[in-house]
Amino acid sequence: MSEEESPAQRVAIGISFGNSYSSIAYTSGEGKAEVIANEEGDRQIPSILSYVSGEEFQGTQAKAQLVRNAKNTVAYFRDFLGQDFKSIDPTPCHHSAHPIQHESTVAFKIKDKEDDTENTVTVSEITTRHLRKLKNSASDYLGKNVNAAVITVPTNFSDAQKDALSKAAKDAGIEVLQFINEPVAAVLAYDARPEAKLADKNIVVADLGGTRSDVAVIASRGGMYSILATAHDYDVGGAQLDEVLMDYFAKEFLKKWKNGGDPRVDDRASAKLKLESEAVKKALSIGSSANFSVESLSKGFDFTCSINRMRYETISSKVFATFVRLVLNVVEKAQLDPLDISEIILAGGTAHTPRIASSLASAFPESTTVLAPSTSATAINPSELAARGAAIQASLIQEFETEDIDQSTHPMVTVTPHLARAIGVLCISSDESTGVFRHLVEAETPVPVRRTAIIATPREGGDVLVKICEGTRVIKVTKPEPKANGKAADDSDDDEDSDESDEEEELREKTYKVENVLAEAALKGLSKGAKVELQINVAADLSCTFFAREVGGKVAVRGGWKAPGKA
Amino acid sequence: VLSADWSAPTESKTLTAATDRNIEPVGPHFLAHARRKRHKRTFSEDDRI
Repeated sequence: MSEEESPAQRVAIGISFGNSYSSIAYTSGEGKAEVIANEEGDRQIPSILSYVSGEEFQGTQAKAQLVRNAKNTVAYFRDFLGQDFKSIDPTPCHHSAHPIQHESTVAFKIKDKEDDTENTVTVSEITTRHLRKLKNSASDYLGKNVNAAVITVPTNFSDAQKDALSKAAKDAGIEVLQFINEPVAAVLAYDARPEAKLADKNIVVADLGGTRSDVAVIASRGGMYSILATAHDYDVGGAQLDEVLMDYFAKEFLKKWKNGGDPRVDDRASAKLKLESEAVKKALSIGSSANFSVESLSKGFDFTCSINRMRYETISSKVFATFVRLVLNVVEKAQLDPLDISEIILAGGTAHTPRIASSLASAFPESTTVLAPSTSATAINPSELAARGAAIQASLIQEFETEDIDQSTHPMVTVTPHLARAIGVLCISSDESTGVFRHLVEAETPVPVRRTAIIATPREGGDVLVKICEGTRVIKVTKPEPKANGKAADDSDDDEDSDESDEEEELREKTYKVENVLAEAALKGLSKGAKVELQINVAADLSCTFFAREVGGKVAVRGGWKAPGKA
Repeated sequence: VLSADWSAPTESKTLTAATDRNIEPVGPHFLAHARRKRHKRTFSEDDRI
């Protein structure tokens, strides 16, 4: 092991490497994750490289080159890494250097040297240059040479893509400590906040990016995360919203300048249109109106036009609806109901759009929290989640030996049995049909697990039977009694509309159905109003022990059952 | 509420078979889990250390 790689010498950061934007973050001495701004002051650094007579530009400066120097500007290349040329979709590169086949990999033909010759630069080399720049920005900021990182990747990134990224990072002087999945990084960024409380909950992470959207359903159990279902959609993202605006402004332009020509047809005009449309979209996420203004948009005609958020939301309502559908589909794929979801974490740049957050909030029950800037005061900037999560993970493992990290992330460790059903205790009545099931351990909890709960006992005290059982979650649908016409509205006329729609609505609740009584225990002679403490331990082989005792009491009842398949 | 004629059940039941899933190797709680698993410790043993 070279000296640079020894854990003591490591300076690790978190990198979120995306098709459209990349971010870098570090963890401060107090354990708080901070996103680093590059020398241009950008925290979301466009993943774009551009060359002008041998000089390299990156980030926002390179993005500006998309208009005048599109052929020597490389953008949207992350998903090409480690891919076969046939399997890539070059659509996003329409406005920049086009990907070409080069041996087994993807490359770009660009003039990146002074001598004005076209060179074939592989996507791996492009990535290395990009990562080197990110590394240098972080090193400048921290005043230390950054030599290691945790990088976030989409959940469907193949091993070949990870290997290619790992190699590209190594060439840039970065040791990749670990690849972590983007949605999990987002959850970690929220859970690592000091005010966060650990709970067993199902979380949906909707990562709405520029050229793709990824949604994952994650079971969070005692701070451990298991992905239940994922979906990837390359046809919904910020680019679709940009297109809606581009169409709108192009039509307005044609209305004003009859002989201006369609700016969408001309390459340079459409590049200008796209850049400004994206800027307008971002402004509409913050303000209620925005100005579109491009000098010499097409055929020398300047164009200025303003749009308010209401109009924008109307013209892009179709795109918003596809986001909501995508999220609902993944919940279904995980065999869950919207009622099972406690939190929706919105990540990615497009998640800043207020309307997407409010559409999701109305598609899910009120019990579901939507974590986005417009719906929650405590929400973290959606663009920064992945980088923050990576920075936190980097700070946790940077002291480890490389071997330790590899061993810990090995499938031997990560593949773990998850409970198929919830385990809980039957309260109120000993009868299975009338009892109320109170869950102790949720379904999909990885074992081994230990949970403790305090349960109230009947008021009069005395003897109590504790029944431990398995339960499945069922959705109870109750239809409200149809109200008699006219009488339903409480004399006020303006309520009638809402009453009518209420009548159609079914009441859906989440309840548990008791499936299987596992063990019973009796506690005798409890005092008045006593509470019972119950602890249950499920071992890795699904054998289990539990004990129950009165709070403050000394005597505990112990019991347990064996692993399945054993006598 | 316990009925008078209750006695501890003798037959032992087992849990429904679990499904194998991948835990995400991320976060402090996973690292604690990995430590327990690699050293084959139980929760109470881990608490004592």
